[in-house]
Amino acid sequence: MRDGLVKLLSHWWFWSLLLLLLVLLAMSVGSVNVPFELMFDRESAYFEIVWQLRLPRIINAIMVGGCLALAGLLIQNLVKNPLADPYLLGVSGGAATVQLMVIITGLSLSQNSLFAVGFLGSMMATLLLLKLSYQGRVRPDKITLNGVVLAFGFAAVISFVLSTATGLQIKSMMFWLMGDMSFAQPNVLMPVLLLVSLLLLLKHHRALDLMARGDLFAQKSGVNTQRINLMIFVITALLTSMAVAQAGTIGFVGLIIPHLVRMIAGYHHRQLIPMCVLVGACFLLAADTMARTAMSPIQLPVGVFTAMIGVPVFLWLNRKV
Amino acid sequence: MLLCKDLNLKQEQQTVFRGLNAAFKAGEFWGVVGQNGVGKSTLLAAMAGVSQNFTGEITVDGQSLIGINPLQRAQKLSFLLQDQEPCLAFSVKDAVGMGRFPWQSKKQSDAIITQEALATCRIEHLQNRSILKLSGGERRKVEIATCLAQQSDYLLLDEPLNHLDLVYREHILQVFTAISQQQCVVMVCHDLEAIRNHCTHVLMLLANDCYLAGTSATILNKDNLKRLFNDHGKSD
Repeated sequence: MRDGLVKLLSHWWFWSLLLLLLVLLAMSVGSVNVPFELMFDRESAYFEIVWQLRLPRIINAIMVGGCLALAGLLIQNLVKNPLADPYLLGVSGGAATVQLMVIITGLSLSQNSLFAVGFLGSMMATLLLLKLSYQGRVRPDKITLNGVVLAFGFAAVISFVLSTATGLQIKSMMFWLMGDMSFAQPNVLMPVLLLVSLLLLLKHHRALDLMARGDLFAQKSGVNTQRINLMIFVITALLTSMAVAQAGTIGFVGLIIPHLVRMIAGYHHRQLIPMCVLVGACFLLAADTMARTAMSPIQLPVGVFTAMIGVPVFLWLNRKV
Repeated sequence: MLLCKDLNLKQEQQTVFRGLNAAFKAGEFWGVVGQNGVGKSTLLAAMAGVSQNFTGEITVDGQSLIGINPLQRAQKLSFLLQDQEPCLAFSVKDAVGMGRFPWQSKKQSDAIITQEALATCRIEHLQNRSILKLSGGERRKVEIATCLAQQSDYLLLDEPLNHLDLVYREHILQVFTAISQQQCVVMVCHDLEAIRNHCTHVLMLLANDCYLAGTSATILNKDNLKRLFNDHGKSD
């Protein structure tokens, strides 16, 4: 029976259907539960809640989940380390550091400008890492260590800022550190970036398969490893920066989803790439919906639920496969 | 023709061999011999275009390996690595199919060529097995099949006989011999018996940047073999 279930999970239409159901469910539940038939009724009092408040957040969760899962798949391929995570690049640390600096200086920026600042911060952190790990070519082995060390540096700055901040500032700072979907408005750049990345990566799916078996193997088989590594690095950095700017630091998705998808869909990037986006989207939407509704009207950090769903599902699958 | 001109080989910034000139042509089966650390694998990696650790010039059919398009390079040259640790559970069939990458060709013709390579290496029965669940010898066969599927003009093999049993060794040496009728095979190997029986030419790398190159019959004589095993390390 478990075999049958794993087989079912390996179909993309299963996840598409699940995503659709999750979207409908997420539109319906919340601090007020809206019956399905009233969701599409323009005259209903709930119309605005569903379409103006919940739908943007749903789209956001789908995009962030997809970006993070795809970035995780790529970074694991780049550094050939199963424990790699998009935040390994230090991007979240860079974003949070710059954003906290801005908040503490008392500049009252709008939410949108804060996103922009976060995006710039994470891109700066990634460029710094690229500079440190580039010796005529991208050195994947250096990225891992440099990334971890840089992240420690950022963490120290963040701790320093937090311990000197006032109570009011801390609340808005925690947003960036814990990951939260409640503030962000959907960003039109995100689906564009995700789509372009998907097309570009799918074009190179065979090269990515070969890269997964080692850079030397890929190189001798005719892959332009320098170019592919650079492409992976840039796309990962963009996807992660975007996700951090939109939703703060949400751990676990980028680490666990690629492993989960490999267990159910095999090792070919032709399937892995779209499946990661789809499963990541479902996963984060489910987690965010739970975070929103479990103790409503109190909203919990989404990170609590990514781990609460992810850990048992992952351990069960890892035993099976 | 695969041509090495005034080649200086380096390992970690240190020059291990100076002034090598050699030409490998279609229809030849070369055996490369030499003591451990003399630079055999470094030479092969340089000729395969996966290492920039050399000065001098290497050309394949008149085209320099520096700056060559990687796809084009892999159509000309295939390279069997000495040891390749598999990390992901690709099936044997898919792993061998990866040898078709440089041709960017149709799926169907790729599948046929992959099957041929599997048959040649006698591993058809393993084709749906994960490469993580193979023995050392079986894994070696998969790597050889991947190189064969690449259908390149030059086959560079770094110790292909490692882990293989005696019966299979004979079989795969005959496969290489058959390939070398049309293409060029260059094999680094420590088995002098195999080289004497199968290779048409021998490149012998000796200490102090000395080397001998020529037909097997002329190179593999008593005096040269003595030099091969008696020169221990470099004298200053």
